[in-house]
Amino acid sequence: MINLLKIEWLKIKSYTGFILLSSFFALGVLTTNYIVYAFKKNVIDKVEGSQLLFSGSPFDFDAVWKTVSYYGGYFLMLPALLMVILISNEYSYKTHRQNIIDGWSRFEFLKVKLGLALVFALASTLVIVLTALLFGAFSGTAFSVNGFANVGYFFLKALTYNLVAILISILVKKSGVAIALFFIYTIFENGVSLLLFFLAIKLKKDSNLDLGNIGNYLPMNASDGLLTSPFEQFQGMAKSVLPTDYNMLVLAFALVYVIVFYLWSRNRILKSDL
Amino acid sequence: MAILSINNLTKNYRTVKALDNVSFTVPAKTVFGILGPNGSGKTTLLGIVMDVIKSSGGTYTWAGEGMAANDLRKRIGTLLETPNFYHYLSAEKNLQIAAKIKGRGEADIDKVLKIVNLYERKDSKFNTYSLGMKQRLAIASALLGDPDILVFDEPTNGLDPAGIAEIRELIKSLYKSGKTIIMASHILDEVEKVCTHVAIIQKGVLKTVGPVAELMGTTGAETITRISIEVGAADNQALKNILQKMDGVSSITEAENELQLVCTEKITGELLNRFCFEKGIVLNKLNVKRKSLETRFLEITGNQSDK
Repeated sequence: MINLLKIEWLKIKSYTGFILLSSFFALGVLTTNYIVYAFKKNVIDKVEGSQLLFSGSPFDFDAVWKTVSYYGGYFLMLPALLMVILISNEYSYKTHRQNIIDGWSRFEFLKVKLGLALVFALASTLVIVLTALLFGAFSGTAFSVNGFANVGYFFLKALTYNLVAILISILVKKSGVAIALFFIYTIFENGVSLLLFFLAIKLKKDSNLDLGNIGNYLPMNASDGLLTSPFEQFQGMAKSVLPTDYNMLVLAFALVYVIVFYLWSRNRILKSDL
Repeated sequence: MAILSINNLTKNYRTVKALDNVSFTVPAKTVFGILGPNGSGKTTLLGIVMDVIKSSGGTYTWAGEGMAANDLRKRIGTLLETPNFYHYLSAEKNLQIAAKIKGRGEADIDKVLKIVNLYERKDSKFNTYSLGMKQRLAIASALLGDPDILVFDEPTNGLDPAGIAEIRELIKSLYKSGKTIIMASHILDEVEKVCTHVAIIQKGVLKTVGPVAELMGTTGAETITRISIEVGAADNQALKNILQKMDGVSSITEAENELQLVCTEKITGELLNRFCFEKGIVLNKLNVKRKSLETRFLEITGNQSDK
């Protein structure tokens, strides 16, 4: 696998899209968290009585893990978009065929993309960890790994996004269509998720049937749902009508989707004309 | 020894039968041409044996028992259909990737770039290359690691006349050094000039297969009975009049400044020349063409391109 990844590195290291998107990701995570940090410090904290609603800063340890993971999560579209572009490039340059003609097996071609998805997920997670450590240090609170599970959720979310990206680009092959479909799918799923959220509230109110937020069981939202806003105190006010979160179930769904995306992509690569 | 054995390969694309029960073997140390009109199934056939297209039926076997299919491919230098490279990378970096996948060192890269005259442009990005340069880079990539088997699909595509001649010479010299070359082409002249063996495919059906010399020598069981000769004289009308009386000349067609004759095999250039001279006509042109693969090809496939 290391050898395959080394070859993949030769392909992408000087690719402008790779350099741009990965820089945007790191910058995006840093600046967004900084904006929230500055907003909390300079605006919210100066409002009289805000201390009643927010005890401490979301950038204090342990909260910082959750905060940085949550805001960083919004930028996971970028590495996933990079995955779509890299795979679509292979199809449009027909280098996916050439790699196999030159001696990779079909599975090796997929394996290295999965490896890349994992590396991108790990690298994104590393950015989150470093950013959290940085803001945590700024906060002046004592270091703690409580709440580090959020970083794990972030990793799972990154991996899910990247695997969706692989699946879509393998199914569609054409770069423009794959990129468009990836965005359309994300928006579509968010829309459906929102509808299901209201349905869940209605169900709980009308029949006391609590399935949690059903929208969280959809593929990309399954991992999204694990990361919640550090300002959920607001949600607390409406807690009685909101469905209870079934985190373990959502986690299980997210893992099942990861496996399904892998098997679907594998089947496609091994059995179709390239 | 057979380098590649193909047994009843079939490929269906929905309603189209791209390959229909094609079987043949490629002997070692030959230049094996796969000849056919556009859309006859040549690339599909090569795509299947390189595992980028799945067959609908049949099997193929490359020489090299017990090796994994992808490891076998590492020992084959292949140019399939179009030059496939990363557009944003230089020629050299593209070849580094190919060499790594093949499990070969990078020592060869400069050498193969020199063979195809791209060494000076090795640092230029692939997307700045002309069509001919891209094709030459693909040939360079196939030569990496000095493989014993080479598969070239339309190798002279996009090349200028000098480039075409160079690649043909390259293929001949590869053959002389003991390599096996499998080459698909729709250019008869190319196959005739370069190949030792040929398989003719039309609409996915194998029409005939064998050594080029043998194929041009016979029409099934019949021996070739006709050759074509081009002649010219100061007065072509007078020439035509006397040739009409000559035994063995079966047809005369007038062309610009010359007459095209179809004759029986007993007519030789010497005979024809003497005959005209004795009748008082001095030839200023005499060109005896042996029966070409083109004539044979048209006999086999019918005189129509596939639509």
